[in-house]
Amino acid sequence: MDLSKLKKRPSYPFETIAVAISFSPSCQSLLAEAKRLSDVLGASLLLLHIGDQTPEKEQKLDSIMDTVGVDPKRSRVIWMEGDPVDTILKLCKLNIVDLLVLGALEKENILKFYLGSIARNISRKAKCSVLLLTNPSDEPMKLKKIVVNGVENPKTIHTINTSLYLAKHLKVKDLTIVKEVDISGIAMAIADNTTAPQTKEIKKNITDESEETLQMIIDKCDIGEINVTDKIIKGKPGYAISKFAKDKRADLLVINSPDTHLNVFDRIFTHDIEYILADLPCNVLIIHSRV
Amino acid sequence: MIKLAHNELIVFLLSISAMLIISRIFAELGKKLKLPVVMGELIVGIILGPTILGMLYPDIFNYLFPRTGNIPIALDGIFSLSVIMLLFVAGMEVQLSLVLKQGKVAVYTSLFSMVIPFFTGFAVAWFFPEIFSISNEHGPKLLFALFFGTALSISALPVIARILMDMNLFKTNIGMVIIASAMFNDLLGWLIFSFVLSLTHTNDGEHLSLWYTIIYIIGFGLFMLTIGKKIIDKTLPWMQTKLSWPGGVLSISLGICLLSAAFTEAINIHAILGAFIAGIAFGDSVHLREQAREIIHQFVTNFFAPLFFVSIGLKINFIENFDPVIVSIVLVLAFVGKVLGATIGARLGGMSKNHSLAVGFGMNARGAMEIILGTLALNAGLISKPIFVALVIMALVTSLTSGPLMKKFID
Repeated sequence: MDLSKLKKRPSYPFETIAVAISFSPSCQSLLAEAKRLSDVLGASLLLLHIGDQTPEKEQKLDSIMDTVGVDPKRSRVIWMEGDPVDTILKLCKLNIVDLLVLGALEKENILKFYLGSIARNISRKAKCSVLLLTNPSDEPMKLKKIVVNGVENPKTIHTINTSLYLAKHLKVKDLTIVKEVDISGIAMAIADNTTAPQTKEIKKNITDESEETLQMIIDKCDIGEINVTDKIIKGKPGYAISKFAKDKRADLLVINSPDTHLNVFDRIFTHDIEYILADLPCNVLIIHSRV
Repeated sequence: MIKLAHNELIVFLLSISAMLIISRIFAELGKKLKLPVVMGELIVGIILGPTILGMLYPDIFNYLFPRTGNIPIALDGIFSLSVIMLLFVAGMEVQLSLVLKQGKVAVYTSLFSMVIPFFTGFAVAWFFPEIFSISNEHGPKLLFALFFGTALSISALPVIARILMDMNLFKTNIGMVIIASAMFNDLLGWLIFSFVLSLTHTNDGEHLSLWYTIIYIIGFGLFMLTIGKKIIDKTLPWMQTKLSWPGGVLSISLGICLLSAAFTEAINIHAILGAFIAGIAFGDSVHLREQAREIIHQFVTNFFAPLFFVSIGLKINFIENFDPVIVSIVLVLAFVGKVLGATIGARLGGMSKNHSLAVGFGMNARGAMEIILGTLALNAGLISKPIFVALVIMALVTSLTSGPLMKKFID
């Protein structure tokens, strides 16, 4: 497989959007959302079905595509048999997919979470950006509030810029960039010999430093006309932003792709992203910036 | 039921108040000189104990800290409770996800900073037991060698956290690598130490086979860190909203700690492991409010910790048991093993030479954890008083030198 075209490919614009078709009850809505995104962003659409290709399925897919209004000239359908996760990942790489759209349950039972569902396993391993839609609808998705993770990481600037690109095209007004500060270790360090004002000052310094760091990241981004606010929240990374997005009733949470290959240990000793995947607070976009 | 007599109760209360008040005064004085609090507490123990008060005013010493009657039993109960609580809060700060998140560099640093000092200590104790006046018989020699290796490989997370915070490195990349590696060291160190302690039960008729001990320790750890952690995580929000705040969460968390400690003690693994693992399961919960965490820390660090560390000086005459040869050997081995191990690990993990050395010296701080480990080993009859004194001195020297030596390699 020649992956040279994928390397250093920018995280946006999304030129090819793929959607995984499973013929589930939400299949039509999922395709409708993917189609709208591809129209707005001017991207070509790739429909992937992992399973056997039967005349009944072909007929059903034609009917769904027709209902949704997918233009056959700007789309392609790929049928392939194999392991769903590996095959989808392989097809995305081969077809230089920029964004993969998947339907996902908000929450899964504990066994499925540890074993890993198809959508979540793809999210953990994908070499392209992944959009997990919790409640796809036939009606156009109303994106009003986007929350973006502003964690200190080289990938973050690409994630924020991609979010801004999406916000511009989807005419989103409210974009909040959030930095989480985990102060759990501070309790241990200050327990034995710190006065109340010193404790307050230590905590304030940590918050101030985080604000400065976040501002430095935002300053490097191409904000343009969008109204961007920044926010520092305290709590365990991953869980805190997920809760913030839920409380704010955000429509989309945008995060970096994981730095390492996640495995079952990352679910037992919960990795930041696993808090989000365990209980999706809203639609989630994982940006793979390929840096 | 045996009760403390009227006079005994007065003496008991006086001794506890003396330990708390004087150790606080020394902690505040030590703060001005930037010395660790534990050092002040140990000095108070030395002053109140047989080393100074016992020598100068034996009547006052014997009145305040009698060696017979019900008072020593009551005090021993408090000291046992203290060590369990200290291990609980130590566990609360262990976040295994942080080790995984820091990736290769943290895994290499923690493994090398465990393996090299462990084998250095084990080899010296195994091949030269006479230095430590240990019998050359296989059994005692093996137990001591295992303990000595563990004692050299453990780190002191709270001391390291404090040093990093003072140096403004707590949230930096280098700080996170040190913290994550120290967490992993602590977990492995206490697991190994519990295993060694459980082997000391050999002669009391409650001996578990080696494999049962290992299976119990691993089984208990896995259960608490998966199912136990999930149960705590699910019930904490209820505890924090439906029960009195913060009283509800405090009593339940400390209750779970003691329950877990009782369980591990009952299956012949030391109570400290139960408390430590319960601490990890509790502290790792995303629902544990910061205020609750702080209150537990404050309560344990400022009530139980002074009593425990002062009690060390009460039991041992530091001058009589000071052996310069043992102290020098322990110090050299502790520095060489830990600094070398952590530096090699960090370097293999991809850090620069200077930052790797900074990680090496940062990980070298042993502090209170080493003293707790030594005390438990002394109580179990694993080590002699001179070795214990050497471990205490090593813990203090490594804690005091860690920050200044780290500074030399950062920018």
